[in-house]
Amino acid sequence: MTALDPRPPGIVRRYRLLAMATTGVLAVLVGLLLFGNLNGNLVYYLEPEEALAQRAAQSEGTRFQLGGLVAADSVVAEPGLVRFEVTSSPGPDGVRVPVEFRGAPAQLFGAGVGVVLEGSWQGPTFASDSMKVKHDENYQPPGDGGPA
Amino acid sequence: MSTTDPAAPVRATLRAVFGRGLPAFAALAVAVALTAALASPPDRLQGELVRLMYVHVPAAWTAFLAYGVTLVAGLVWLWRRAAVWDRLAAASAEAGVFFTGLAIAMGAVWGRPTWGVWWTWDARLVTTALLFFVYLGYLALRRAVDDPVTRARRSAVFGVVAFAMVPLVHFSVLWWRTLHQPPSLLRPAAPAIGGGMLTALLLSVLAFTALFVLIVRTRMRLTAANAALDVAELTGAEPVAGDAVTAPRREATR
Repeated sequence: MTALDPRPPGIVRRYRLLAMATTGVLAVLVGLLLFGNLNGNLVYYLEPEEALAQRAAQSEGTRFQLGGLVAADSVVAEPGLVRFEVTSSPGPDGVRVPVEFRGAPAQLFGAGVGVVLEGSWQGPTFASDSMKVKHDENYQPPGDGGPA
Repeated sequence: MSTTDPAAPVRATLRAVFGRGLPAFAALAVAVALTAALASPPDRLQGELVRLMYVHVPAAWTAFLAYGVTLVAGLVWLWRRAAVWDRLAAASAEAGVFFTGLAIAMGAVWGRPTWGVWWTWDARLVTTALLFFVYLGYLALRRAVDDPVTRARRSAVFGVVAFAMVPLVHFSVLWWRTLHQPPSLLRPAAPAIGGGMLTALLLSVLAFTALFVLIVRTRMRLTAANAALDVAELTGAEPVAGDAVTAPRREATR
């Protein structure tokens, strides 16, 4: 602080201490967010291969969110139930997870769209009762090319 | 007053508070943006739902702009210590909270038919809600301190620190897996928005910015008038002591 500062030095020191403490706490929080393993707990959904890798370690019925693309030509609708496969990539080489979804699918559900499903493993199938459709960042008028 | 029009003083007051040119420009910009938003083509996947983007995205960007103005005005206040910068910071933060709330509400309305849920705990939504509450805290702090200089100093520091939330919100969709889509426009690659939609979006951004400037200027004028009134009441015609037999009015009203 300059000599012109009319405040007594004690107050200035207290503010400086407060500012340093706040900065320190903020730095720790930001560091945790960026480098800490906190990221492991902030995962909103698991990719198909991660879900398969975790299957052995999970007990049956552990709920988690699975995210990926609905594989083309895999959607089979039955009464009150939709079967399809979730894949990590649109090509044929992606890891596929068979899904059995009970309930009404979201409005924009269809082959090729991204979905986030909540549910658990039932044998080799992922049984889900909650679906969110992931809309991507592309906005195009109809008939303007691109996958429809 | 030579005029006999009884509404003249009202009009003069309205002009003094809102100005003349800026409201006209804002109204024109809103009308043009609304026309462009209604005339733009529907999206190939979402259909008509895409039109909510012309409110949601500009609202979020205007909120970011508002918090940026609060940051800069706070820094300038710390440097120059002129009350006008504190008023600018406060008015801008108020507008920012409004636009953040609007972005969250419109996002929920869009999310229900598109995603299937009003709300989900993904990083973009949670950080945006945090942003909203942090700046509500800024407004609460301003109401908690009586002394204008102390209030200006504390809120300037708060405004500078709180701005860290803005890049956190913007990059949340890139740093974490989210349900919310990544940026379509504010990204290194070319915009992922088709022709007529991009024009409508940019016109909406212009309209929202004009509205923001109008709101902030109006709030600053009202705050300045309020402060002048406070000073006039404190130093005004009422005798402070000496001939005061009863307690002063300010005491009695508390």
